[in-house]
Amino acid sequence: MPNPGQHQRHPHPPSKAAQIGGALIGPAFLVLALGMFMTSRATVLPNAPTPVVQPEQIAPVPRRTPMSDPPTALIAGFEQRCNDCHRIFESTWDGERTLEQHQDIVINHGINENCFNCHVRDDRELLVLQGGKTTTFSDVTTMCAQCHGPIHRDWRRGVHGKTLGYWNAELGPQHKLTCTECHDPHSPGYPHYEPLPGPNTLRMGDPGAGHHAEVEARRNPLRRWADDAKHNSHEGDDHR
Amino acid sequence: MKLPVHKSSGCGGSCGSASNHGVTRRSFLRRTAGVVGGSAAFAAALSPLMDIPEEDRQFDVKKFLQKHYKEMNADEMEAALARVREDVELRYDVRPEIRDIKPMDGVEFVYALNLSRCIGCRKCVHACVDENNQSRDPEIQYIRVLEMPRGTTDIEQGDHHYDRPKVPDEDHYYMPIQCHQCANPPCVKVCPVEATWQEDDGITVIDYDWCIGCRYCEAACPYWARRFNFTTPTIPSDKINTEMSYLSNRPRHKGVMEKCHFCLHRTREGRMPACLEACPTGARKFGNVLDPDSEVTQILRTKRVFVLKADVGTLPRFFYYFDERDPFAQSVPIPGAPS
Amino acid sequence: MKEYFRFLWRCFRLSFHGDWRYYTWMFLLTAVILLGVNAYCKQLVYGLITTGMTDQVSWGLYIANFTFLVGVAAAAVMLVIPVYIYKNDELHDLVIFGELLAVSAIIMCLMFVTVDLGRPDRFIHLMMRFNFPISILTWDVIVLNGYLLLNLHICGYLVYCAYRKRKPSRKFYIPFVFIAIAWAISIHTVTAFLYSGLGGRPFWNSAVIAPRFLASAFAAGPALIILTLQVLRWATSYPVPNKALHTLRSIIAVAASINLFLVGSELFTEFYTQSAHGVSAHYLWFGLGEHNALVPWIWSATFLNVGALLILLTPLGRKLMLLNVACVALIIGIWIEKGMGLIVPAFIPSPLGEVVEYTPTLNEILVCLGIWSAGLLIYTIFVRVTVPVLQGELTYDTIYHTSAEQGHETDETT
Repeated sequence: MPNPGQHQRHPHPPSKAAQIGGALIGPAFLVLALGMFMTSRATVLPNAPTPVVQPEQIAPVPRRTPMSDPPTALIAGFEQRCNDCHRIFESTWDGERTLEQHQDIVINHGINENCFNCHVRDDRELLVLQGGKTTTFSDVTTMCAQCHGPIHRDWRRGVHGKTLGYWNAELGPQHKLTCTECHDPHSPGYPHYEPLPGPNTLRMGDPGAGHHAEVEARRNPLRRWADDAKHNSHEGDDHR
Repeated sequence: MKLPVHKSSGCGGSCGSASNHGVTRRSFLRRTAGVVGGSAAFAAALSPLMDIPEEDRQFDVKKFLQKHYKEMNADEMEAALARVREDVELRYDVRPEIRDIKPMDGVEFVYALNLSRCIGCRKCVHACVDENNQSRDPEIQYIRVLEMPRGTTDIEQGDHHYDRPKVPDEDHYYMPIQCHQCANPPCVKVCPVEATWQEDDGITVIDYDWCIGCRYCEAACPYWARRFNFTTPTIPSDKINTEMSYLSNRPRHKGVMEKCHFCLHRTREGRMPACLEACPTGARKFGNVLDPDSEVTQILRTKRVFVLKADVGTLPRFFYYFDERDPFAQSVPIPGAPS
Repeated sequence: MKEYFRFLWRCFRLSFHGDWRYYTWMFLLTAVILLGVNAYCKQLVYGLITTGMTDQVSWGLYIANFTFLVGVAAAAVMLVIPVYIYKNDELHDLVIFGELLAVSAIIMCLMFVTVDLGRPDRFIHLMMRFNFPISILTWDVIVLNGYLLLNLHICGYLVYCAYRKRKPSRKFYIPFVFIAIAWAISIHTVTAFLYSGLGGRPFWNSAVIAPRFLASAFAAGPALIILTLQVLRWATSYPVPNKALHTLRSIIAVAASINLFLVGSELFTEFYTQSAHGVSAHYLWFGLGEHNALVPWIWSATFLNVGALLILLTPLGRKLMLLNVACVALIIGIWIEKGMGLIVPAFIPSPLGEVVEYTPTLNEILVCLGIWSAGLLIYTIFVRVTVPVLQGELTYDTIYHTSAEQGHETDETT
């Protein structure tokens, strides 16, 4: 500790400048107060709204309604049972000519182009199974399984496809969607969707200015041959 | 003995009552002006507090002293739920049905996601927003879908803001990411007040009335799964989901964290989470991993599942897998085969 | 006991008295504090949206300042070690000012953490359910408050003994001084562990974070002390020998050299490997695509640090003017390096690879300036009280003649 009185300061009376300065402190505070009062309501907060999404876009319903059992078709404005016509008219389709009725059906099922691979020629309200057996439209999954074995096994496990309702069947109803509740049997490829809007979070900046493309160019091992592969593989844009 | 004097000119505070030294009318006026000015400035500094919204102004002692979720008995929980009901009515003009749903015995939830089936439509994102009363402005979304290029699971190469006319794009796959309810959660480790913890069924929950908003958990999460309410959330009254639970989707206040909780108000009663129900392709799978017949157990046992950032050691309960089939394989012709 | 309250009362009244320089300084500090209070009230009303923080960058200027100031607080020990362990004489009378600076810095740290909280009204939850020892934040709460109490005790005891003209009893302060040395290291190490324990943030998940923190703290802290001691010398009659300043200079030179070495070490590891681990470092030093907001800052900081080190390591540092320049450069450089160069880049890109940049808002900056001013105000008051006490002018049996005390002449003499 320094000794007391080691260093003495000479007293001096407050100077004129100091007195004036001191007098200014009060008014200076008042100016500050005024400034703060005036700006205290002027807070501007940023917006980052979520785009509105319609309820039907996210409704938890099956994508399509499967064919009823017994099946019907809309012919000349009337909903008709298949066999109403097909019992009367002989089936002469040879697999080549275009259909006169059912022109709304588009076949895009890979190499499965023949209607009678699935439909029973003599009874249009039944479906084909191997070994000359048949099944009903409500059991369409068994028919699909004839060719799509691994997918069917996955579907049985619940690994492929969708289950609506309760994960615990003891607590509530479970609805495992059948094949035709997602896939159109004539053109089963899953359609493309328009994506719902992307994120719009607080102070996000320009969404297009991401650096992921640069990282991909630098660190994605496939990138080195990606352009060549693209040129060789395209057959056209519409695969579905 | 007189020591050297420091005479001061003008002062901002109380300087003793009038005495014969140093207090002239001028200096008294100076000091008063200083005090008045200082008080005015202090009041002005505090003036924004007048803008506190009506619903935040009441101070409820019981709410202030509300215990941590784990310490509340049934009566205290009932009282807390009643407070939440009143609060929701006051803010949003709807009467909620809120309860506290406990985990089911013998249940551990796991989520599996089929990367061959996700088409990146983002319906899950928006279904979650609707179900869980998330803020619409500023936007809070628990699920983030990444558009990933082939050849990598390196998240940094993913695009969060893809905006194509149609998805999926053939050169990409889509990876939705939400809270993985990790079995070794870094967020639970770092919370200083235990506002977040893991329940017996595996869900990491947050007590919104306990969180102090330090955001350490947000810094700790390797999957960017946690969200903070930087301001009072905006939820349109007609969009409020009135089926609520204490630990899940009741509306939050500013200053607290929130995140995906596997829709526990639904899943603890046996239902599917909202994201799964909205998914059009069935890419999402959910269930009880302790049940050998559940869909998720089948996936974990038959598919090549992996987790993100396994090296961090978080042990996620969210598994990704690819199927044998690649939906775009058809666009690559088989060499030598007839077209 | 009554005497102690009287001492506190006299200190309180003394803090309102000084010369015109004192009033100007205190007015400016008060004005900035009020602006900070105003900005914080807006934050209380609207929430943390008044800051520039986002879910992607969830810690910003508040935590950056907190980190820097924990370092400054820890650096007070850089005065204590030479004096109490190495029996250095010229620093002996100045240790207390370092510890008072530590107290002010810790108070600022606690304020910065409080303004960063989303729900400061719930801080009692910390006392009701405390996730110790698993959460490092709880360790930080304990060590910071403990360090505050430790230094308050040491300074308070020594100053009060001088006020009472008693020789301080060694057993009431020597053990605490030695505990404070170890504790100072611990506060900054624990703060570093807050960051380095997070596996999800590879930029932080490095063993070099804690050593870097300490090295930079022991460079910036004493630099601040060199500057404040000179202000002390200019504003009061307290003796501050130049030799003391140069002792501090040599401490700073070593610490700043180690800091620069550690920075270089980290740069090598991040950039030579060229892995995903280094992406945040790449953002900081070179930017990512169009996002390069921090690049000018870190390069300026490095330039300042290297320049300061060149002055300190060469005979140029013996000139007081250049030493001051070096100290200012070092403080600014290390502030930038620790704040923007350490806290913010760890959040960019986010753990999912998204790049969202961070810019502090005016409101946020005003709150920070307000807290800095509050800390400086507290330190000024400490000095305003301590200097007369240590010089024997303000003791229990004398009158310290200000216009305040003159009116109570009859009450105070014993």
